[in-house]
Amino acid sequence: MKHAPSLSLKDTGRIYLDHNATTPLLNKVVEQVPHWLAAWGNPSSIHFSGRAPKNLLRESRQHLATLLKCRPLELIFTSGGSESNNLVIKGFAPLAQALGRNEFITTQIEHPSVKESFRALESRGAKVHWLKVSRGGAIDLEAYAQALCDKTALVSIMAANNETGSLMPIKQMAEMAHVVGAKFHTDAVQALGKIEVNLSEWGVDFATFAAHKIYALRGAGLVFSRKGERLTSLISGGNQERGRRAGTENILAITAFGFVADLYNREPIFVERRDQVSALRDQMEKAIATDIGGVQFTGVEVARLPNTSSMVIDNVDGESLLMGLDLAGVSASTGAACSSGNPEPSPTLLAMGLSRREAQGSLRVSLGCDTSREEITEFLVILRNVVDRLRKIRADVKNADAK
Amino acid sequence: MYLNSTPASKKGRVLVAMSGGVDSSVAAAVLKEQGYDVIGVTMQVWDYSASHCTIDEGNGTCCSSLDVEDARSVADRLEIPFYVINCEDKFKSTVIDNFVSSYLKGETPIPCVNCNTFLKFDHLIQKMHELQCDYLATGHYARIEDGRIITSEDSLKDQTYFLFTLKPEIVNRLMFPIGGWQKSDLRAYAEKIGLTVARKKDSTGICFIGKTGYAGFIESQVPREQLKAGVIRLLQTNEIIGQHNGIHNFTIGQRKGFGVAVGRPIYVVKIDTESGTVWMGDEEHLYSSTLEIRDLNWLDQVRDQEVLRVKIRYAHRGADAEIRKISGGEKDERWQLSFVEKQRAVTVGQAAVFYRGSQLVGGGWIARTETPVT
Repeated sequence: MKHAPSLSLKDTGRIYLDHNATTPLLNKVVEQVPHWLAAWGNPSSIHFSGRAPKNLLRESRQHLATLLKCRPLELIFTSGGSESNNLVIKGFAPLAQALGRNEFITTQIEHPSVKESFRALESRGAKVHWLKVSRGGAIDLEAYAQALCDKTALVSIMAANNETGSLMPIKQMAEMAHVVGAKFHTDAVQALGKIEVNLSEWGVDFATFAAHKIYALRGAGLVFSRKGERLTSLISGGNQERGRRAGTENILAITAFGFVADLYNREPIFVERRDQVSALRDQMEKAIATDIGGVQFTGVEVARLPNTSSMVIDNVDGESLLMGLDLAGVSASTGAACSSGNPEPSPTLLAMGLSRREAQGSLRVSLGCDTSREEITEFLVILRNVVDRLRKIRADVKNADAK
Repeated sequence: MYLNSTPASKKGRVLVAMSGGVDSSVAAAVLKEQGYDVIGVTMQVWDYSASHCTIDEGNGTCCSSLDVEDARSVADRLEIPFYVINCEDKFKSTVIDNFVSSYLKGETPIPCVNCNTFLKFDHLIQKMHELQCDYLATGHYARIEDGRIITSEDSLKDQTYFLFTLKPEIVNRLMFPIGGWQKSDLRAYAEKIGLTVARKKDSTGICFIGKTGYAGFIESQVPREQLKAGVIRLLQTNEIIGQHNGIHNFTIGQRKGFGVAVGRPIYVVKIDTESGTVWMGDEEHLYSSTLEIRDLNWLDQVRDQEVLRVKIRYAHRGADAEIRKISGGEKDERWQLSFVEKQRAVTVGQAAVFYRGSQLVGGGWIARTETPVT
């Protein structure tokens, strides 16, 4: 297939290569939104107006359970990935601590919502082990085995890293945790939609997801909490989500989330596109390595998400690179999306052993399910132009300084 | 909505340094109106969260996040691309560190000049090239005519004093779009075109200095033992009239509350870095007729012994002085200035900036002043 079908709402004249930050809305979602707005009622209401939203909520839960290979009532809707991670880590800790387990294990490259949740536990006296991940993307499994003990309450390891796309051996690590009686959580926000997520096979106790990474609306997230596991609601309030997440549900975003899950369940194109995206990404990396040169790819010694490419480009400042790409019509990223818009070197890349300088010259390109070969070809031309220009200016400045 | 790879405008592409204040906002608006392709950029220069400054405190200075949001909102209103660039490391090494060490030496520095020298007209010049811009514009009150920098139309607002380190070779790449405006007209224009910052109060003072003041800032940046404590002496009698916990608390000309003790107003007239002694004297001891400057930068030719108008601090009205080269080659030259009339409170660390009529011709840093004698 030469031309990828355009499935999503794209800005004209732009090449969007930042799908790990967020995904454009599927055209089908955009079409449906006006219909969903009619279900404006409160799903907790007993009367007529509560029925439609309550049904949408139930259907969404069912579609997502089918996609994730779990039971509907094991799913808790939240506002997004960050809240979901907070809920698992902070909502589980008190219960474990009551049982005398006060140690936690995670990695140094988790999403801030995971890292900061654990720092909050640390400040309350918990012991947290921060596992290292190599530049190639491999987690230190020996250190993991050593850290596990009968005091371990919870292990939290991301399924796929947001910046490098490198995958973690979740199934194996979950099994190891269970041997010592610890629970296992995986932040699968980036994995969802890009690789097969099979919770029953992974054997995890908790998993977290966000709707806006799979072409649905922003504002809905999900926690998988295995049947029998308990979580304390972070929000005091009503009995929504069986007492685990108070507050009236964001029906619109949740409905879109379930709708996209249903598309993934029914339409083979999303799975088919994974291999094509992966091939396109590999060709792109090959072209960058030969045409541009002085490029090192990060996190490539392990299996990766099919869509993600993280690279360090020598003699280029990532900030200027991004601005240059943006002005030329390309949306990419230097690392994690930052709310302030003020690019700092990525803590994840620094933790993986890159120098500050390397991290500042980093570029993350993340393809989408409908990124076309033509877009990548055009991107390669633009990237080369911008990099050439920046390198030339840098060389000129150096020469001028030397004089 | 946004620019494409080839500049759409024949007039050229301009990078505008936007602080979030009304001046640089109007600068961007005017250029857009004139048909340039405009790109807005805000330099994130100081981590306000680290200096414990509250949102309230940061309002109206160039380092608060509110200011970044204001710049962003103006850029959005003007439909121009906008970026925040991280200059914290560079700001720390070229502005903050110098500022702190200068105060510790008993000087009174002006960080705004270094910010212009190393950030606005160096770092941003590089960004200008990198983003294929033809020009760099700022919201300074200054004008450029025939390659010369001249004072702004609104004489009260003139900021050429802070521009004396500009390299002459970049002047043809610079634009000061509001240099010909009166402040009141500028605000009215901002209001007319619907900029949210039209009534925002002007920033005064130094952007990174919060409620704790200069002394508090210095104390937050260095360990206590680096502060130079000492005694306060009266110049005429050599008498010790007090103690102080650091010379960074003082600046030449400052009136200190010891007047009661001696029965007349007295002023800081000399700060001895070595001993940490702060000398107090009478108003007359504040006046000097000569000073020495270092690290000069020239924007035009001058003749040795030419008489120029010299400003020795931003708020100074300017005074005629004869300038004379006293030593050094191209890199380490020193010049001496002899004022026609004695000047009050000449202060090491401030800049002496030269004008020929309304033209900025250069300047240097005040390195040595006449020592008052009894």
